[in-house]
Amino acid sequence: MITADSLSKSYGATTVVRDVSFRCDPGTITGFLGPNGAGKSTTLRMITGLTHPDAGTATVAGRPFAELPNPLRVAGTLLDASAMHSGRTGRSTLRIAARMAALPDGRVEQVLTTVGLAGAAADRRVGNYSLGMRQRLGIGQALLGDPRVLILDEPANGLDPEGIAWMRTLLRDFADRGGTVLLSSHLLSEVQATVDHLVVIADGTVVAAGPLDALLASTALLIRSPEPESLHRMLEGAGIPFGVNTDQSVTVDTSSGDVDARRIAHLAVDARVLVTELRAADSGGLEQLFFSLTAGDTPLAAHSQEAA
Amino acid sequence: MTTLLTTREPHLDPPRTSRQEPGIPFSRLLRVEWGKATDTRAARWLILTIAATTTGLMLAPLLATTSIDQTQTGYLSFAALALTVLLPVVSILTLTSEWSQRTVLATFTQEPRRARVITAKVSVSLILAALGSAFAGLITAAAVLLAELSGRDIASDMSTSKVIGFALFVLLNVLMGVAFGALLHNTAAAIVLFFALPAAFTAASAALNSIGQWIDPSRTLGWVLQADWAGHLPQILTATTIWLTAPLAAGLTRTIRREIK
Repeated sequence: MITADSLSKSYGATTVVRDVSFRCDPGTITGFLGPNGAGKSTTLRMITGLTHPDAGTATVAGRPFAELPNPLRVAGTLLDASAMHSGRTGRSTLRIAARMAALPDGRVEQVLTTVGLAGAAADRRVGNYSLGMRQRLGIGQALLGDPRVLILDEPANGLDPEGIAWMRTLLRDFADRGGTVLLSSHLLSEVQATVDHLVVIADGTVVAAGPLDALLASTALLIRSPEPESLHRMLEGAGIPFGVNTDQSVTVDTSSGDVDARRIAHLAVDARVLVTELRAADSGGLEQLFFSLTAGDTPLAAHSQEAA
Repeated sequence: MTTLLTTREPHLDPPRTSRQEPGIPFSRLLRVEWGKATDTRAARWLILTIAATTTGLMLAPLLATTSIDQTQTGYLSFAALALTVLLPVVSILTLTSEWSQRTVLATFTQEPRRARVITAKVSVSLILAALGSAFAGLITAAAVLLAELSGRDIASDMSTSKVIGFALFVLLNVLMGVAFGALLHNTAAAIVLFFALPAAFTAASAALNSIGQWIDPSRTLGWVLQADWAGHLPQILTATTIWLTAPLAAGLTRTIRREIK
């Protein structure tokens, strides 16, 4: 289990992380999502004891990370795949970690196979690795001590689609065996199929958190009409904020609860607006949700200000 | 009993590792840090260069028989030369390379008690200094033997005090490198300052003679090498505090507090 409790961090006058709290339970994969510079890495570094928070606490497996007696055995971390000694081979990188955690060299070979770096790749120097290979090595290093918690910062970065699929299977299997996974990403699409929980952070603050299904289900309706201007007029008239997608379809936020498909249908009938599609927004809407949550100047916000 | 109770938080995680995991013993940290200090190509070349230079420098007293004192300590001081110039660079690297390669990210998540890691790194440098001194001693003995076999007479002026002085000289030089590396976290800056600062002080201290002998590391370390303790101990201790103890303590504090990105 991982808990973050009111973590805050400022650099000079800039607050990078403000009062961030969340919790990751065993058996789940939590996606820590936010645009670049939202405070994801700083939060992960505070959880792993590399950055001292100004306020708040974090625990991993019930204790502050810095108090874990042999962290590799409890929590595997990958905080930056490029932070590896370029002069060492993949194998010797893992051997150092294995020696630290008192693991046999056989475990290193096992993990090299798991992450697809066995054979010639293991004896190449990390400086000659691609980013994807470094990610695999970093994930291997995190898995080495057979931990029950994984904390991964942008692990999908640099992986090809096949690599992302591999990571998905690996993490799902890890979580199904009772492990806890926290992974960050700035691309929703990258982790959407991997995670089952989301913590969305923007400008250092948690703006949404919960199970993926719940976050996706309740948020938006997609409306399409061959007469977009009439549709816009109808929604403005009803005081319903909306966003216009690139294909001229319209997304309406339903999280407040006072807008649903039935109400839109009634409005359309009354205003005699032809509607050809009216449904819960799918993954495209999820992207919309992500942008609406993480950026202040999306069409959604702009329109609600216009309407006000 | 209380500690036992408080450390056993409610276990919501699977009981896979519910048994109390023992901490990382210092001997293991030491072995890991020894490996890191010696397993890269750069480190191996550097150590090989030190061995080769130390051996090569023996040619100087062997060949220049008239201009160089044909004494045991005369030979030994040439062996000390390479050690004191290059061995501190190895020490600096053990302390700084993790920051430049950013492997501190992994190291300090594998052992979050950073002071223990630094202590292990300092210990590795001490071991390197001891091995270096022993190697220099062997090479000196071999060179002296060679000179005597060729019919030369090498004055026997070695004493326990001189041996201790020599070992201490190497050790203090290496530790000074450690201190600079621990404080600066940057290989280039640490190496440049390690050589430039003492040299600058030596130049400056020539002007301020009475104060200079308290702060000039070259002069105080020279006394150590010659085992010339009488009347110099306070100066040696003062210079060591300024150039070694203070930066090492500051470096340790900085390492513990520094945010690792």
